[in-house]
This record gives sequence, C-alpha cells and structure tokens, in this order.
Amino acid sequence: MKLTRSYTIHDLMEGCKAGDRKMQEMLYKQTASKMLAVCMRYAKDRMEAEDVLQVGYIKVFQKIKEYRGDGSFEGWIRRVMVNTAIESYRKNLRSLNVVEIDEAYEQPSTGFDFGTLGMQDLMKVIQKLADGYRMVFNMYVIEGYSHKEIGETLGISEGASKSQLSRARAILKEEITKMEGFGYATYTG
Amino acid sequence: MQPIQDKDFDQLFKNAFEDAEITPSRDLWSSIESEIEPKKKRIIPVYWLSAAAVLLIATVGFLVYQQQEVKPKQFANNVAPKVVKPVIENESVKDSTKVVDLQTEKLEQILPVTSKPTDAVAKTTVKESIKPVEKLKVVTAPEMQKQEMVIAQVEKSKEDIKAKIEDAVSKVNQETILASTAAVVKTDEVIGDDDQAESKGIRNVGDVVNLIVNKVDKRKDKFIQFRTDDDDSSLSSINIGPFKFGKKRK
Repeated sequence: MKLTRSYTIHDLMEGCKAGDRKMQEMLYKQTASKMLAVCMRYAKDRMEAEDVLQVGYIKVFQKIKEYRGDGSFEGWIRRVMVNTAIESYRKNLRSLNVVEIDEAYEQPSTGFDFGTLGMQDLMKVIQKLADGYRMVFNMYVIEGYSHKEIGETLGISEGASKSQLSRARAILKEEITKMEGFGYATYTG
Repeated sequence: MQPIQDKDFDQLFKNAFEDAEITPSRDLWSSIESEIEPKKKRIIPVYWLSAAAVLLIATVGFLVYQQQEVKPKQFANNVAPKVVKPVIENESVKDSTKVVDLQTEKLEQILPVTSKPTDAVAKTTVKESIKPVEKLKVVTAPEMQKQEMVIAQVEKSKEDIKAKIEDAVSKVNQETILASTAAVVKTDEVIGDDDQAESKGIRNVGDVVNLIVNKVDKRKDKFIQFRTDDDDSSLSSINIGPFKFGKKRK
C-alpha cells in the first residue's frame, strides 16, 4: 500500500514538473491534509495555518523543478511548508521578548498518561505556546533541527534556543497535566 | 508514575504528529490555482499572435492576387469621380450663362408675337426654343441645369429675366457645389477609416490586423475587420468575395 502510494506521488511529481494542472491538483488533494497538520503546529490557529499552507503549495509548484530526487518527495514538500511557516513567523516576528517572560514552572510530581490524549489535544497545547517557544519546540523536537541551526534560522543565540526549548517543554507539561485533570493548577501563566 | 524524561516527552509528540492529517476547512485549491495561473495567461497571446500571423499572410497573399485582377475596375471607381466632377462644375457655370444669353435673344423675338401668354403656352414655347440651342451648344450640361434654365425662362419681363438668370446661375453654382462636396465626402470615407484606425493607437492584436488590412485593402468592406472598441478584440466582419460576414461599418 505504501509502495503504490509513493509511486503515485512520484508520478504526480513528474506531472507537476511538466506543469500539468490536473497532476498539480491531485498532488494537492493527496498531500494537503498531511501538510496542514504540519502548518498547524507552527501556527496560532487554523486560519493562519491554512494561509501558510496556501503559500507553501504555491512555492511547491513554482520550485518543483529544484527538487532533484534526493530524499522523499513528500519530505521535500514538508520542508517547503516548514520553511514557509518559519518565513511567515519571521515576517511577523510578533514577539521574541516572550523569552524573558518569567513563567512559574513547577515539575509535576506525577507522570503523564498520553493514552487519553490525542493528536488534536497536543496540537491545542502547542498552539497555545508563545510564538517563539512554539517555533523552537517544533523545529527541535519534531523537525530535528539542531540548536545551532535554529539559532541561525530565527536569528537568536544557540543558548536562547536551548532555554526556549526547556521553557516550552515545561509549559507543555503543565498544560497537559491540567488537561489530564491530575494537576494542581496552582498558578496562572 | 515517574516524572517523564525530556527524550520520552519529545518522542510522544513526534509519534503523535508523524502521520497527523487535518483536512483543510475551505477549498484552498482554487485560490492556489489562481495564484499559479499567470503561466497560463502568458500562453494565450502566443496563440493569438500565431493566429494573427497566419491571417496576415493569408490576407496579404489574397489581396495581392486579387489586386492584380481587379486593378482597372478599381481605378474606374475611385479615380473617376474625383477628377471629373470639379470639371463639370466649372464648365456648367460658363455654359449656363451662354445658354441663357442666347435664350433671352430668342425670347425677345417671341415676346411681341405672343402678347397674351398663359404659363402653359410660355412653357411649351420656351422649351421648344431651348431644345435646339441646348443640343447645339451644351452637350455636357447635366440634367439639373436644364431644369434650372427652364424655370428661369418662364418669367417674361426682360428685367426680371436678367435677375433670374443671375439667380439661376448662382443657384446652379450652389447646387453643383453641393453635389461636388457630397462626392468628396464619399471618397473621403475610405481615407477617414484609415486615419481613425491609426490615431486610436495599437492596443491589441485586433488593432494590428485592422491597421495592416486598412493599408492593403482600401475597399469599404475589408477582407477582415476586428472590433477593438472593447478591451477584447473580436472579429466583426469578413469579406472574401462571395462570402461575407458581419455588419456594415458606419
């Protein structure tokens, strides 16, 4: 099943390279929901995510000739989406000052039970993060960038990236604890 | 439960989002498609230009072939009115005065004899007297002037006649001028079309075709004509011998 699908994507890629409108539409229809999930992680809400998705696909179709076939085509599209999201963040650059916001942090004494938490719930807590935290957490944890790369990309120091990541984790844990109903929400951030 | 390690914590998120799919709430494809549309738009003019090129080649070829056959006819149509009409204008004025002079002499002879003339009688006599004169002297005078002269001669008193003659002469003048200007207007129409098309400027392919067709084809109904008043040029008329399409242009 997976083989047929990736083969189909290869076909679509060739069609898109040739500028075939039908193939472009099929590629969009087949990959859009996966890519929207990527964009959602980087955005505050669905509206923003869909805007990024739209710009991302326009880039995909414009730059498709630059895809040389190294790595999976879907991975390439995903990278275009992530880069578009980062660009959008840098354009807005709403607030890097969140770094300095002193949020109370307490290590929950209990562990986590993710069994009852779905992807949608995790998405919610990620979207609640301040923009800077969200970027670093996504780039490091999900996309696998190094702190050095993140620092260069976002224009911050490596150390700032590290500290933002740990703060992001702490906030996420806190939020999840609240969601699970275990926690003792003793403060408001 | 143990407090969760960062690595495990991260892994949970990674797993959760690895194959995550969220269906877009709105139809984004149409807006994406319209954004990458410009590529399509660039292609259209190329088709138009090639179509225009084919048309032009066909037009020029056809007209060159056609002009070789029709040349004498076209000259007869276009040149004759321009040259001949002014000549008539001048000659007719001179002739009419001569004719009228001769007629007044005749009238002097006739007047004493017919002392109780009715209009009818006068007309007939005058007409009879004119005809030979005209036949002899004025061969090229047009019909209009003949009629004017008849009217002038119906009046009988000498004094009046001279006045009327002058009236008639001036009338004839006016009328011939009117006639000749009308003729000029007609010939101008073709040239006018030319100037109009050129002065409008070339805004699209239709204009280019019109301009070149105007240069080559001087007929009123062009071989091919585009309507370029709107943004889009559309075919308004075709005239290929027996096959005609489209309205007459004003």
